[in-house]
Amino acid sequence: MSKPNYAEDNPGKKIVMLGNEAIARGILEAGVVIGAGYPGTPSSEILPALAEMQKYFPHFKLEWSINEKVGFEVAYGGSMSNVRSVAVMKHVGLNVASDAFMTACYAGARGGMVVISADDPNCYSSQNEQDNRYFGLHALVPVFEPATPQEAKDMIKYAFNFSEEYHSLVLFRTTNRLNHGRGDVILGEVKEINRDYGFDWDRSRWVCLPSHSRVLRVRLLERLHEISEFADEFPFNSLKLSKEKINGVRYGFVAAGIPYSQLLDALNFFGITNKVSILKLGLVYPLPKKLFKKLFEFTDEIVVVEELEPFIENILKQLAFEEGISKELKIHGKDLFPQNGEFSAEIYLENIANLVGLPYEKVPVPENMMIIPPRLPILCPGCGHRATFYAIKQIEKKMKTKFVNSSDIGCYTLAVYKPLKGIDTQICMGGSIGLANGIAKIQPEKNPVLAILGDSTFFHSGIPALINAVYNKNNILVVILDNRATSMTGFQDNPGTGILITKEQGIRVIIEDLVKGCGVSPDKIWVEDSYNLNKTIEKLKIAVKAEGVRVFISRHLCSLVEANRRRVQHIKPPIVKVDQDKCVGCLICVNKFGCPALNFDDSKKKVIIDQATCRGCKVCIEVCPQNAIYEEIES
Amino acid sequence: MEIKSYNLLNVGVGGQGVIRAAQILSYAALLEDYKVRTAETHGMAQRGGSVASYLRFGTEVEGPLVPRGKTDTILAFEASEAARIFNYAGPQTVFLINKSIIIPPVIHQMNIDYPDIKQISEFLKNISQNIYFINADEMAMNLGNRRTMNVVMLGVLSGSQTIPLKRESLVRAILSYLPTEVHDVNKKAFEMGIEKGKNIRGDFNE
Repeated sequence: MSKPNYAEDNPGKKIVMLGNEAIARGILEAGVVIGAGYPGTPSSEILPALAEMQKYFPHFKLEWSINEKVGFEVAYGGSMSNVRSVAVMKHVGLNVASDAFMTACYAGARGGMVVISADDPNCYSSQNEQDNRYFGLHALVPVFEPATPQEAKDMIKYAFNFSEEYHSLVLFRTTNRLNHGRGDVILGEVKEINRDYGFDWDRSRWVCLPSHSRVLRVRLLERLHEISEFADEFPFNSLKLSKEKINGVRYGFVAAGIPYSQLLDALNFFGITNKVSILKLGLVYPLPKKLFKKLFEFTDEIVVVEELEPFIENILKQLAFEEGISKELKIHGKDLFPQNGEFSAEIYLENIANLVGLPYEKVPVPENMMIIPPRLPILCPGCGHRATFYAIKQIEKKMKTKFVNSSDIGCYTLAVYKPLKGIDTQICMGGSIGLANGIAKIQPEKNPVLAILGDSTFFHSGIPALINAVYNKNNILVVILDNRATSMTGFQDNPGTGILITKEQGIRVIIEDLVKGCGVSPDKIWVEDSYNLNKTIEKLKIAVKAEGVRVFISRHLCSLVEANRRRVQHIKPPIVKVDQDKCVGCLICVNKFGCPALNFDDSKKKVIIDQATCRGCKVCIEVCPQNAIYEEIES
Repeated sequence: MEIKSYNLLNVGVGGQGVIRAAQILSYAALLEDYKVRTAETHGMAQRGGSVASYLRFGTEVEGPLVPRGKTDTILAFEASEAARIFNYAGPQTVFLINKSIIIPPVIHQMNIDYPDIKQISEFLKNISQNIYFINADEMAMNLGNRRTMNVVMLGVLSGSQTIPLKRESLVRAILSYLPTEVHDVNKKAFEMGIEKGKNIRGDFNE
């Protein structure tokens, strides 16, 4: 691959970058050494972009950590050792890292330390839409939020200086549209940092036992106070004042991040940008009190435009109360804008028009509305998970019972949809095994409890829960869907492949050995290729019926990874076809198995395989009760 | 010609090259020194689900999202996806649609109907008179590489003068985002799209 433009050492050049690439560029320009984290949409492209840069800037020490907590700790170990360090994760990843994060904020930063939290309003690729600005309030550290890719680059570069100046960790919060949106960015200089690196044996700081922590907490509060005093001069905050009125009212707007950019578009749309005061925040915690007081003087009504929780709004209302002006000043926020989901562009237009009394016509709904059935994401053609879930369903049917299929975060979560309907729970990473521990304590024996999760998720946080099951005799069957990739987030490697983020081959961790090490009896461990459907059914049925804690490893390389490898190596996949004479149109393959390559020809009442979609996994050959599906061998 | 703000919505099905098109178009806009913004679908939504990317450029663009009814162009790599996001279009919107429907597998399983090209076309005519269907899949297949469909559609976008960017910028952007072994076939795909675009340009209702 050629050198990506974001890795160029060419200050002043303007290029177009994905938000996540711009963040990576800022990290490069700041002279960061350690980058660690765990993949999670919408944060996943940041560390791989750094890994690309490492080819040209070998000072980086990067890794995919086993989970976000370890990723945070790796980065913080860097900060303790006086190098600039960054921990990268999605919003829910910070929940995992929070044990370390909350106390590390007491001890503070030595080398500049930034934690990136990529939030996901609207849950585009997440199990919730929590607002991680509260982690700043909770841990008493500043929260930065950029509005554009250019600002993201500049702001994260600045965040490392800031972190060192105040000895504070910085929480760098973004939302989906910033991470996964492109914008024009001007490259800056790549900074070289010459200083002494290495651990500093300051036990009163790094050993957070009660007597030390009490002292550290006082320092933490002092730091927050200093930052709070500085907030008015924070370079990415800006206040634009206007004395003009609209329909007799002086309006002020407050926003940060993507909502700030969208707000400007909406104000421009109505041509009122210069008729209102605007406080743009780059530091969303702590908030700049003097700037707010100035805004209070110039306005009759203030509108806080923020997605998710009323975070800024509540602090602002508190400040207005302290100033004794909460009666005369109207502060809007969640009375106008929704508290759930992402704001679409017209939400800004409608609310501003309503508030200030400007005409805005909603887009009319056309007559003869056409309803398009939803196109939900599905398991790919040739996905090994589909075969495993099909096997589980077949066994359930044969045993005339219902299993409790406790599952987890990954592509296989898509098995919840028709026709597989193969999972019953999904809460958090590694949660499948933990939940199964509890469910198994209650569920009668006739309903076997399965915990179904992927290889990367098992490494992430499944292991302690498996040991828990062994130790506490919680009778469960753990099914590990080992597709040798963290596929949903972009096929990142994990300990199962042993390939590092730099693509260097490292040491593989063998799941079978690991499971044995967790205390699972060797005769309670089964391994089978996910594509061998009949063998899987046979072995898995034994596993379901066996006693104690059991582990079944269903293994086949992710079909997307395999297809890409074949394309590069010019290898053709097997050709699978349906014998039109033998097909009776029973539709078991289409309606029960549901591979997208299997199509029903309505006119002939037969199934055909779309050769462009088929990846040649051959599982449907075993699914077909009529033996109508076959592999065509080219002569 | 200076553009204040041009708003395009590109839709399709995960795997059709929607993200690649966003990369190409945003780079082409940058080559003409515009401010550029995109918003794209990554992650879970790519697994055969509906994908959409917004592209905005001009001298007056701030955020990446486009309000409903205000899109200049809807570039659809799959026809039913154009109908799905109809409310982003208004009377001014030009629809350039790949004349192909990918029926979601679940439709077979649920035994429900899925709209066809005729129904989609009739429905969209309620919104805009500028609806154009292009056999882009077929054109790409004729070139021997079905993955060039998105570049055929970019050619149509350029040939029909629906996007205010120079052809040279688009070619340069296309080539910079594709591996050299497929440069020739994509150049051809782009040229074929341009010719197709020129033909439909005559039908524009302006």
